[in-house]
Amino acid sequence: MKGLPLFPTTTVGSFPKPPYLLEARRKYLRQQISKEELRHLEEQATREWIQRQEELGLDIFVDGEQYRGDMVAFFADEMEGFQIAGLVRSYGNRYYPKPVVTGPVGRKRPITVEWFRFAQQIASRPVKGMLTGPYTIAEWSFNEYYPTRRALVLELARAIREEAQDLVRAGARFVQIDEPAIHTRPEEDFELAREAMEIVTRDLGAYTITHVCYGDVAKIYPAMLRLPVNQIDLALANEDYALLEVFKKHPFTRDIGLGVIDVHSHRVETVEEVVAGIRRSLAVFEPKQVYISPDCGLKTRTIEETTAKLRVMVEAARIVRAQFA
Amino acid sequence: MITTVVGSYPKIPDLPAPGRWRTAKERFQRGEISAEALLEVEREVTREVIQEQAEVGIDLLTDGQIRWEDPVTYFARALEGFEIDGLQRWFDTNMYYRVPIAVGEVQWTGPITVDDYRFARSTSPKPLKPVITGPYTMARLSSSRYYATFEDFVLSLSLALNHELRALDAEDPPLIQIDEPAILKHKSDFSLFREAMATLTEGVRAPLALYTYFGDVSGIYPEILDLPFDAIGLDFVAGPKNWEVLERAPFTKSLGFGILDARNTRLEGVDEVLRALDRITQHVPLDRIFLNPSAGLEFLPRRVARAKLERLVEVKRAALGVGV
Repeated sequence: MKGLPLFPTTTVGSFPKPPYLLEARRKYLRQQISKEELRHLEEQATREWIQRQEELGLDIFVDGEQYRGDMVAFFADEMEGFQIAGLVRSYGNRYYPKPVVTGPVGRKRPITVEWFRFAQQIASRPVKGMLTGPYTIAEWSFNEYYPTRRALVLELARAIREEAQDLVRAGARFVQIDEPAIHTRPEEDFELAREAMEIVTRDLGAYTITHVCYGDVAKIYPAMLRLPVNQIDLALANEDYALLEVFKKHPFTRDIGLGVIDVHSHRVETVEEVVAGIRRSLAVFEPKQVYISPDCGLKTRTIEETTAKLRVMVEAARIVRAQFA
Repeated sequence: MITTVVGSYPKIPDLPAPGRWRTAKERFQRGEISAEALLEVEREVTREVIQEQAEVGIDLLTDGQIRWEDPVTYFARALEGFEIDGLQRWFDTNMYYRVPIAVGEVQWTGPITVDDYRFARSTSPKPLKPVITGPYTMARLSSSRYYATFEDFVLSLSLALNHELRALDAEDPPLIQIDEPAILKHKSDFSLFREAMATLTEGVRAPLALYTYFGDVSGIYPEILDLPFDAIGLDFVAGPKNWEVLERAPFTKSLGFGILDARNTRLEGVDEVLRALDRITQHVPLDRIFLNPSAGLEFLPRRVARAKLERLVEVKRAALGVGV
């Protein structure tokens, strides 16, 4: 893409929050500090992450989502029609606040645009607009209002569409719409998820990306290629690039966000293994199709692990790029 | 008519009450407390959720599966022959389980659930049933590097879990429940399933219930009635087609009538459930009905799970004409 090197490097969205911000969020929940005080620290943490991305030499930035908790609850909190029902377990002892739809859903005001502007103003590189997709918001919420899942998903798609348009108006050249729940009911719902994505991305005027993870991606391949986005971002590293076999059977016709860093492991990958992973992938993709990223958001890693892993990733991309110069 | 639960119950209370189990598990993972200390907390929470079910007025309880990390690894970790791999989605929910991989012959080396069952029953003021995940579902949700065929894998698991059922049987439970949601997704495997269920239940004297959920039994009905179970659990929320299915042949067993949505917070009205109950009694008399949610209740926050159970009890009282 214009203005970007071959194998552009980026990340999937979230970065870990520094200890002072975690502490501030706890205090805010206990009403010991004001929203303004919390906001001030969220801005500080965002500035630090922009600075780290500059130092690491990434090509496309994110704002790091220092002001978000859960990726669905954040949007539910900011929109009309939702309440938070309570905590529900996802696995082990991991819980998430699950929203419930109790009325017509829609935007009250722009949700992420101010943060996008804040980050873009201080960044030397393009910052991605980061949205949670309508299918995932619906799937990870209880629904007490809409008669069908379809009605809820399509209404949410219209709201996320407005948000995406506002991001583009604010200058976003890249908009990512995450749909980690897209393969929950592939036979029944894939077409609905596609239709919803179409509502969000049609004639948007930006390069669009969707990130899919957490499950059986092979089940929705090659149907996945019908998603109306420029790039599909996937986790390759944590399954040792097993998905490449799936892509060999049917050519991958979108750009690929190639996940080359395992976000669930404390171990920092070596440059050699990441280089090897990218090279293996080039048996399936054309070089110009490939964007380099971690498998998923990095918010569960420490700041030190995150920067160490990203340093390796950027170095590996540089090495592979040099061969094509 | 007996009110009951399908199995799981939320492990932590609603905020701002502290999630003791969650904290203990975290501290255990960080190596700050021992396995015994974690078990102690799990038992306290088990006692608490048994108390909650009893207080609400449920007739036949479970231990809430507080000690189950998920429905698969709770068994796989205790059987010989498995390694435990990464996370995978539990059917079409947003809950995840770790995938067991058979790397050798799967073998039962000793009771898996018996200590937990004994503890739960000792603390329960009401009858309490043990629940196991069935061999077919275990095999479907696992993978194997050892068995030549899927059939071999299923039958080997059936044999292993038959030992577990016999061990539970010796405890003289009022009923043993076997969960087999996976068969609804692979109905063409029914003859294998039949064989698995025969092996699984051989020599067991306690009344047995086979619970299915997340779908309907069209395509395996009425054959499913031939299986060696006293009760069959059906999900009428995720499987509304079960209504039509029952039209096809008389329902000859007791029915686990899964009618309250275990996966949505919307609380069904008493009248709405009474109408469904009225309709189901055209197929099964009230005294052969277990009235229960559509699945385990861990998909809901604690407060809502409790409200669903309260609703079950209200419905039963209204149906039997007992003052609420």
